Amino acid sequence: MFAVETLSLSKKYGKTDALRELNFTVDEGEIMVILGPNGSGKTTLLMTLCTILKPTSGTAKVMGIDVVKDGTKVREVMGIAFQEARGFWRHKPSSILKFHASMFDIDPVKRQDLIEQTMKELELWESRDKLFMHLSGGQAKRLETAKVLVQRPKLAIFDEPTSQVDLRGKRKIWDKIRELRDQGSTIIVATNEVREAEYLADRVTILHKGTLVVRDSIPKLKDAIAGGDVVEVGFEDPVADKLVEDLKNLGGILTMSPEGNQLRANVSKAEDWVPRMTSASYNMGAKISTIKITEPSLDDVFLHFTGKSLEENP
Amino acid sequence: MSEFSRLVHIARTDFSYFFRTKWLMAILISLNISDMLVTGLVYKGLVTFDYFRFLVPGIVVMGLFSAATDTGRRIWLALREGVVQYYMTLPVRTSGLVAAYIISGGLGGIVYSGVLLIIAFVVVPPQGIMNAILLLPFLFILATGIAGLAAFFASISRVGEIYWVYAQALQVSMVTISTIFYPSSTIAQYLPGPIVVIAEYNPLSLAAGALRDSAFGGGALSTSVFANLLGVSLPLAGIGALSYWVILRTIRIRGKP
Ligand SMILES: Nc1ncnc2c1ncn2[C@@H]1O[C@H](COP(=O)(O)OP(=O)(O)O)[C@@H](O)[C@H]1O
Ligand SMILES: [Mg+2]
Repeated sequence: MFAVETLSLSKKYGKTDALRELNFTVDEGEIMVILGPNGSGKTTLLMTLCTILKPTSGTAKVMGIDVVKDGTKVREVMGIAFQEARGFWRHKPSSILKFHASMFDIDPVKRQDLIEQTMKELELWESRDKLFMHLSGGQAKRLETAKVLVQRPKLAIFDEPTSQVDLRGKRKIWDKIRELRDQGSTIIVATNEVREAEYLADRVTILHKGTLVVRDSIPKLKDAIAGGDVVEVGFEDPVADKLVEDLKNLGGILTMSPEGNQLRANVSKAEDWVPRMTSASYNMGAKISTIKITEPSLDDVFLHFTGKSLEENP
Repeated sequence: MSEFSRLVHIARTDFSYFFRTKWLMAILISLNISDMLVTGLVYKGLVTFDYFRFLVPGIVVMGLFSAATDTGRRIWLALREGVVQYYMTLPVRTSGLVAAYIISGGLGGIVYSGVLLIIAFVVVPPQGIMNAILLLPFLFILATGIAGLAAFFASISRVGEIYWVYAQALQVSMVTISTIFYPSSTIAQYLPGPIVVIAEYNPLSLAAGALRDSAFGGGALSTSVFANLLGVSLPLAGIGALSYWVILRTIRIRGKP
């Protein structure tokens, strides 16, 4: 059984197609990262899985339970940390967590300790006497995450869990999410941050304009984009068209995108290509200031499959 | 936790919001109590005891009304604060969520007016306490009905300020065209017949009348009093439940209220 399975799932808001005939699955016990730029439909998908949104057509199942026909049962086995934190404005963090824990039958004896421990780990303990409405954006987001960590649902969903959190806080949250998986939960994380995906994902689903572009583990995705390395060359002057032509004729290039003084090339083998590139540039009189060789990032994967970079979207 | 106890827990948490806005409580309580005390103590010599007995039930019903209409404000807040979507992820049926809100409105009304009643009994001889206790369940239903009306207005208020306008208009019309503060014979002197009938069947008038006759006057309770109270309250509670249900359905489809 899949932890999550959707079949031709579509959602329209008026005329906007937020999800188009999406077929998507998540295996039990994995961290599935949904990577996509703003507006790609991540939140819409998650809101449909947690039964807030009704699909326009198609079906979705969580742990084998249909989200439309048996919403209450679905809600018993899943928990979601919203993209925008939602809490009782005039309650303190601990009473918000207590309410949540009682709704999901967390053992009353262990509840208090669990809440205190989670608040300390997510650095919320110092703010324990503040009302929700007085928390900072980052604190409210961490509380949102804490709810699901305390709940330990079979399916845990995090919608951009670290979007307003500083780097140290991000690491903490990521580690807690992994810990939750190690305890047996299935996890979906939606993000537009490559770093978050690289840190967390067992597998990545790339979502673009409401459709699933590709889904695999990160190493396999990177292999899939024509293997090879990424070489970034910085020139002292703008890259001339003639140079681009000459470099193309060298062979071994998969894609190349010049931009101002910069040239970015996906090549099959950097150690072969770079010496040939430098001598060709020398012959043209183009002076090189920097050369950087990297593995392809998820950004490159996204670029490869959608023709757009994550940042320049939507 | 069973679904039912979850539902009660939600109602209680929502209801606690009524007391969390302390300034609002302070204003409400001080207004109602000062009304009672002023008439009761200061004018004791000037105003006849009969008028006091007439007025206090009216004030108790006013308290019930203000507390129950607070439901609309809380629904509106929950929509603005996004808590409604959070509720929608809890393992409770949609109908359970609707019930929780209406019940919490009823609780607000009954607890608040109950406190006023107890205070009133300090001043008035407690001969009708038993009758008042019998009336409480029906006052509760009345409060759910008023909460329902408030929920309806909250559901048609796109902007928060508009809700206040509706709530004020509701209060002015329901209090003016009622026998809370003056008998129907007074209304008959100034306004046409149909209005008098509306005033008499105004749920607030019915409740005030029942309190006057049986709790404060010590008269026997008749089943027609209960039937009338139910007859006017239940449809209102129904309208409210339906309105809140429509809000939830809209969120399911459009992603926002
Ligand atoms: N409540 C809504 N009403 C209308 N359009 C919406 C609503 N929510 C999202 N959208 C639109 O649906 C598309 C997908 O949005 P969303 O699911 O929020 O994407 P993401 O989470 O990936 O940023 C976007 O074009 C967005 O503008
Ligand atoms: Mg989103």
